[in-house]
Amino acid sequence: MAFVDYYKILGVNKSASAEEIRKAYRKLARKYHPDLNPNDEKAKQKFQEINEANEVLKDPEKREKYDKYGENWKQSEAYEQAQRRSSSRSNPFSQADSGGSYEYTGSFDEGQFSDFFEEMFGSRFGGGRQTKFRGQDYHADLQLSLESASKTHQQTFTVNGKNIRITVPAGIAHGQKIKLSGHGGEGVNGGPKGDLFITFHIHPHSQFTRTGDDLTTKVNIDLYTAVLGGEIIVQTLDSKIKAKIKAGTQSESKIRIAGKGFPKYKKENKYGDLYVKISVELPTNLNEQEKKLFSELADIRKKQG
Amino acid sequence: MKKQYITIKEYCKVRKVEESFIIRLEQSGLIEIILIEEERCIHESQLHNLEKFSEWHYELEIGTPGIEAIHHLLMKVERLQEEVQHLKERLNKD
Repeated sequence: MAFVDYYKILGVNKSASAEEIRKAYRKLARKYHPDLNPNDEKAKQKFQEINEANEVLKDPEKREKYDKYGENWKQSEAYEQAQRRSSSRSNPFSQADSGGSYEYTGSFDEGQFSDFFEEMFGSRFGGGRQTKFRGQDYHADLQLSLESASKTHQQTFTVNGKNIRITVPAGIAHGQKIKLSGHGGEGVNGGPKGDLFITFHIHPHSQFTRTGDDLTTKVNIDLYTAVLGGEIIVQTLDSKIKAKIKAGTQSESKIRIAGKGFPKYKKENKYGDLYVKISVELPTNLNEQEKKLFSELADIRKKQG
Repeated sequence: MKKQYITIKEYCKVRKVEESFIIRLEQSGLIEIILIEEERCIHESQLHNLEKFSEWHYELEIGTPGIEAIHHLLMKVERLQEEVQHLKERLNKD
């Protein structure tokens, strides 16, 4: 357990006034507050150190004890007991007073102070007015396939060692965030818990492209269906449907099939549209008879001219 | 779905914040106040931001214009972080 130099953490002299300490603390808190440093673990840890330093130095009683024993904190209890027993005015620790300082590099969970603090001052919940801070907001990513995003389903995942089960409503969008109140980090000094924000990442699909609630898919049709019209079978996200092709359908044209797209977020039984992009395949390797017939068709067209 | 509203008076009393601070937040467009039967209220969806802004103001001594600027920048940071994440994903795919 290392000594923590609270003055160094706040960047103030040992002789700093209460006002100077307050100002230094506010300045650093504004810089490292978890709200102002999203997804920054280093800032979170730094903020905890600053908060701890402030907790000690703003309280005259704690500051006095800290100043008195400083690095000799281990002996503080024994010394105080000895003082109570005897009226001697000598200070057995005066020799060790000018030792070097140590930089505190320990890590701790949010909401916890260093072992040094707990050892010297007891639990930080022990009394006195303390600044309450909301816990840090957590951010998590959840990967979904397009199929699973199209159905309301349960997802279980782990955030900071805790299992969380959520219901993902059908129609959730790529990049969409949902908030789970109170599932973030613990508050500092008894402050409320932070929130958990989940960002959804939806994987691209090999067959469908999603734009909002609409889906687009590609279907190849033969020349004859394109020219004469007909019916095709189109694969939707979860079934197959028949679609009509009008005579004279051009390649790259789109057919809209209403209500067969992606489910609308939190709107039960409402769906976007499915767009079918038509690609016309031309026949290759024609035999003599086919060539002859195509030539005849070409001649008829030319005559109509 | 039933909407939940909290009166500003109630919030100020519980959280020990000044009503004028909330009015200033509304004037800056940071939160939305709704008048229900002549009583100023906020929707529960605004509570998260209100808590956050109150903490910045009372604990970090940041004024309303500062809150406005930070809020704006944080949204920008968030968007940029998302973009970085998205680009990283694309980079990993290639």
